[in-house]
Amino acid sequence: MAINIPELRQKFSNPGIAELDLIARYASLPEDERRGRMFDAFAETGLPGRRVEGWRWTDVEAAAARLDGTVAPVVVPALSQPHDATVFALSPTELETPEQLPDGILVHRRDVVPALAEAENIPMAALAGSLCQYKDNAASIVIEITAPLSAPVYVNWVGQSADTNFSRLAIVVRSGASLDLVESYCGGASLSSTLVELKLEDNADVRRSLFHAGDAHEIMTATALVELAANARFVQTILSLGSLLSRFETRIGHTGTGSNATLNAAYLCGADRHCDITTFVRHGAPSCVTRQMTKGAVLAGGRGVFQGKFLVPRTIGQFTDADMQHQALLLEKGAEVFAKPELEIYADDVECAHGNTSGALDDEQLFYMRQRGIPLSRARALLTEAFVSEALASASPAVRDALHDTAREFLSEMHG
Amino acid sequence: MPVMLELKDLIASVGDDEPKTILNGLSLNVPFGEVHAIMGPNGAGKSTLSYVLTGRHGYDVLSGKALLDGDDLLEMDPEARAAAGLFLSFQYPVEIPGVPVMTFVRTAMNAQRAVRGEPEISAPDFIKQARLVANELKLTPDMLMRPLNVGFSGGEKKRLEIFQMRMLEPRFAILDETDSGLDIDALRTVAEGVNVLRDEKRGMLVITHYQRLLDYIKPDKVHVLSAGRIITSGGPELALRLEKEGYDGIVGEAA
Ligand SMILES: Nc1ncnc2c1ncn2[C@@H]1O[C@H](COP(=O)(O)OP(=O)(O)O)[C@@H](O)[C@H]1O
Ligand SMILES: [Mg+2]
Repeated sequence: MAINIPELRQKFSNPGIAELDLIARYASLPEDERRGRMFDAFAETGLPGRRVEGWRWTDVEAAAARLDGTVAPVVVPALSQPHDATVFALSPTELETPEQLPDGILVHRRDVVPALAEAENIPMAALAGSLCQYKDNAASIVIEITAPLSAPVYVNWVGQSADTNFSRLAIVVRSGASLDLVESYCGGASLSSTLVELKLEDNADVRRSLFHAGDAHEIMTATALVELAANARFVQTILSLGSLLSRFETRIGHTGTGSNATLNAAYLCGADRHCDITTFVRHGAPSCVTRQMTKGAVLAGGRGVFQGKFLVPRTIGQFTDADMQHQALLLEKGAEVFAKPELEIYADDVECAHGNTSGALDDEQLFYMRQRGIPLSRARALLTEAFVSEALASASPAVRDALHDTAREFLSEMHG
Repeated sequence: MPVMLELKDLIASVGDDEPKTILNGLSLNVPFGEVHAIMGPNGAGKSTLSYVLTGRHGYDVLSGKALLDGDDLLEMDPEARAAAGLFLSFQYPVEIPGVPVMTFVRTAMNAQRAVRGEPEISAPDFIKQARLVANELKLTPDMLMRPLNVGFSGGEKKRLEIFQMRMLEPRFAILDETDSGLDIDALRTVAEGVNVLRDEKRGMLVITHYQRLLDYIKPDKVHVLSAGRIITSGGPELALRLEKEGYDGIVGEAA
């Protein structure tokens, strides 16, 4: 075997048990220069922990050490899908594709491992990139959208074992094409990292709606790298109920004039659930728009994290219009929320704003509702649902009601 | 008539950090079927009384009794008091963003019914009744779809309070300055809405600063509240006297 495990271990400082497993897994895959680069990039931090920039509040290293491999994580049901939807199931070894693809959707299987460019500096993305390997020697899968689609496309990320789960998917949306994309992340692996690379060409239109729920034995990170060409429109909506540790990291690059991004997310964390919403938006072209609204509600023992950054370079970032809002509700004592909104602006003719609040439900509102006979727990659920629903309004019509129902169900189980 | 609301020597304080005694031995009986008015200067404790009776957090009863039809209100959660038939029309109605009026009222109605062991109201019945009542109160169907009290004018909020009262059909209603901020037409509309609920099984406390409302909602009795206690009581003529002479005279006389 060409890959030398002891040599690999040298690249990590003090590898833990989980990291040793990852090294062994890497060594079992076909050797490839790009794969090697990504794994080296991952090795620089290993599983990221509190000392790694951007991972202070989402400590994968510590959580991995607490993982109890004997407990198989629970698979949560995915969102229901309309009969005309195109449904893909993506497991760590295969993209299950419908026999007949509608016009406008092509699936390409490639045997080259694609490079990751500067996103290598996201350790979990580098990990997914280096450990993704589909069967029949396919190293990468690309879904190509060539026309405006009339029905939604579902990608259900399926965990296969109590072990680990790494997959990578590229989606290219051609000029003028449109895609209503629904992704369910519903657990099933102790440690998973997924990577989606989305490329929107000029005037492409993508609505991406994500749902995640996982149990208290599951670490999951989902990274999306999104490139928006001129006048592309991208609307993303996430509902996450968290897991032992979960993180949705989205990097948006506005690369063509006049592109438009909406980034909405709602996290609802009960006891022993952690959810991290991290975004980075680079306004690398003039006159681009970003609207971001993240809402969170956290119960005792739950933890929410929001990290958002807008980078607006000089000259090319001129006429940027960007707004970032994060609002969290701490529903009980012992709920935790950490937030870091950042604007880094070098262009001078821009409109950029951000807001960040966290607090409890309003006592006056609660009393008013109870005076009308609404029990405290129901009053809290109603107010919380109303609070988060703003962030879910942008979801695909195919799943919008289901997301609201999921949020309502979660909240109806919380106690006064 | 037997007593419906019985308040005896209520002493209550307000505030969590530095409690301040506001009600100073308040006693009052409202028999079944009667409407009593409570008048008094600003700061007398009128709203405090309404919050004490409905169980708002931070309003602590140090001693005394408050019974509704024999049931001890002070032992119950706010929602249980509501289910027992107690309703407060708030002096300052609270905005509930994201919860439409219809959703809110139906949730409240069914929650109360559940406690009383009654079946839920069906959606069509609810909508029918809501339309009818809204129409009487000159509220448009569009208003009922909007989040409760959000973006409503002062007068609209007061009409929405009466809308809720009419829908919930409480046994005992407290109206806390429902007349403030209403023009004369709105005042008449609101009063008519209130009068519909007057019958021998119900009772009402109408808190007001001015006599005007009492031209439309005729009280059986008028009480003057000052410095946390009832200092004098009388018939409707007492309200007229207050209007003419002001509070200073009567408060001074009683002291
Ligand atoms: N939450 C509170 N904290 C402290 N003092 C209060 C509070 N609410 C009312 N008070 C005081 O109690 C007194 C009575 O107030 P209130 O009952 O609102 O009077 P009214 O309704 O008769 O005008 C006033 O002096 C007021 O300042
Ligand atoms: Mg008052």
